[in-house]
Amino acid sequence: MKDTIILAFESSCDETSVAVIKNGKEILSNIIATQIKSHQRFGGVVPEVASRHHVEQVTACIQLALDEAKVSYDDLDAVAVTYGPGLVGSLLIGIMAAKSVAFAHNLPLIKVNHLSGHIYAANLVAELEYPFMALIVSGGHTEIVMVNNPGEFERLGDTRDDAVGEAFDKVGRVIGLPYPAGKQIDEMAQLGNDTFDFPRAMLKEDNLDFSFSGLKSAFINTMHHADQIGEELDKNDLATSFQECVVDILTEKTFRALENHKVKQLVVAGGVAANSGLKKRFEEEIIKRKLDLELIVPPLRLCGDNAAMIGAAAQIEYDQGNFAGLDLNADPSLDFE
Amino acid sequence: MKTLAFDTSNTSLSVSVDQDGQQLASFFSDEKKTHSVTLLPAIEKTLQDANLSITDIDEIVVAQGPGSFTGVRIAVTTAKTLAYTLNKQLKGVSSLQLIAANITEFEGLIVPYFDARRSNVFAGAYELKSEELIEVLPDGHYVIDDLITQLESLKRPVMFVGTPIEELTTKSDNLDAQFSSEYIPNAHNLVKLAKSINPVTDIDAFIPKYLRYTKAEYDWLKTGETSGKDYVQRV
Repeated sequence: MKDTIILAFESSCDETSVAVIKNGKEILSNIIATQIKSHQRFGGVVPEVASRHHVEQVTACIQLALDEAKVSYDDLDAVAVTYGPGLVGSLLIGIMAAKSVAFAHNLPLIKVNHLSGHIYAANLVAELEYPFMALIVSGGHTEIVMVNNPGEFERLGDTRDDAVGEAFDKVGRVIGLPYPAGKQIDEMAQLGNDTFDFPRAMLKEDNLDFSFSGLKSAFINTMHHADQIGEELDKNDLATSFQECVVDILTEKTFRALENHKVKQLVVAGGVAANSGLKKRFEEEIIKRKLDLELIVPPLRLCGDNAAMIGAAAQIEYDQGNFAGLDLNADPSLDFE
Repeated sequence: MKTLAFDTSNTSLSVSVDQDGQQLASFFSDEKKTHSVTLLPAIEKTLQDANLSITDIDEIVVAQGPGSFTGVRIAVTTAKTLAYTLNKQLKGVSSLQLIAANITEFEGLIVPYFDARRSNVFAGAYELKSEELIEVLPDGHYVIDDLITQLESLKRPVMFVGTPIEELTTKSDNLDAQFSSEYIPNAHNLVKLAKSINPVTDIDAFIPKYLRYTKAEYDWLKTGETSGKDYVQRV
């Protein structure tokens, strides 16, 4: 069978990324330009600043991606791009660039749901068997999704308020950590104890949804109360207590979902998938529950936003003949059907 | 020389395909549609009408701002990507100068402006000398009061070109001012204006002329931190 080579774009938030992916499986290149240092100045992503950086980066990223993959436009079969969900101004840069390349070289255009991208990052590191389950945990999303067939998603659970990665960042800001705070909280959590016992929201409710705003408020209240009475709290204990609480919630809901859905694989995707506490607990839980379940956690570089995962997800659309027109627009609040 | 020129700096969308100074085809829309949706289909249609393919084009000219941040970014991203990926010449023209070019005869200052809200405008001042627009006041982000003061000090007749803003009209009482209704951009004028502009040498570095910091950057600059250049890192 002839190889399929896709040039993929991702610009939904604060990373400009262009990748070349072969057959949805093999990364020929995956260039990522991250704006973290810029947004650290403001304590979080400023959408207009993000959009401006994307314009500065996009063509250089295309060139680097093609060079590193050692392919020319003649070798390409399609151009793919994230069209949502995300920041509209950011999404538009990837979309306009992808449409321009597709138009200029007469290549088919493929629109990719960013969440599908996160899930199919797993396809770059494992052989996926349908149906499988995915937990997407990132700065913008917290969702449990069944993938019944290629590109066929069924959402089982979602956050009612903050995304889990957002909770990490907000809590991090309160204890004086730079944005994004996930990695540092994870490191601090290795050193402390769960002494605060924050509330595990919605665990008793008969659904697979999440809520993290109550945890965030409890955390902030604890800090304020200590401030008022002049008490110094152990930051490592705070980090541990927060992370344990988050991991408890994610574990309980995910494994409850697994009880009712027969799958052989669980994909954990998105930036928070890099959290060591989460991965460790999932591994322990699989053993404890004697599950015949393969846990797939893509490496860090594929968990954060990147275009390789978009190229992987695009292959499914390519195989099914789903192509987009030059009138493709961003859909900032795109969801699974 | 075959040129593709387009502008999406504000509400309207204008595309022109020219060959050696002659317009071959054009597209214009003033509907409140999203430029991100309409721009590439409009370019495709205009090229078809001109019986050309995008690969036949030698030069791309784009209105580079100021204007709506998103609008300008859509055109600039499209222009730089097309020029980069097809290895074509790229030129950027002021979006203000573009509407100033609608005025072909006037003795005095031609002042194009866009509403930047809250008593601010993006504006510049130009004068016509042997059919060329010469900059008198640079394109910038002006408080309306300051713009009026500067124009008053130049003591010349003024022709404002822009979507009417009541505050600007009211405050121009002490100026010898006229208000042109010719404020709709026409991409054909981009091609004319581009003649005296050098091609972009570094396409990757080609970005919109926003002429305004974001509020977050503005507040951050006030903290006195030094502005660095390594805010974006390839990892």
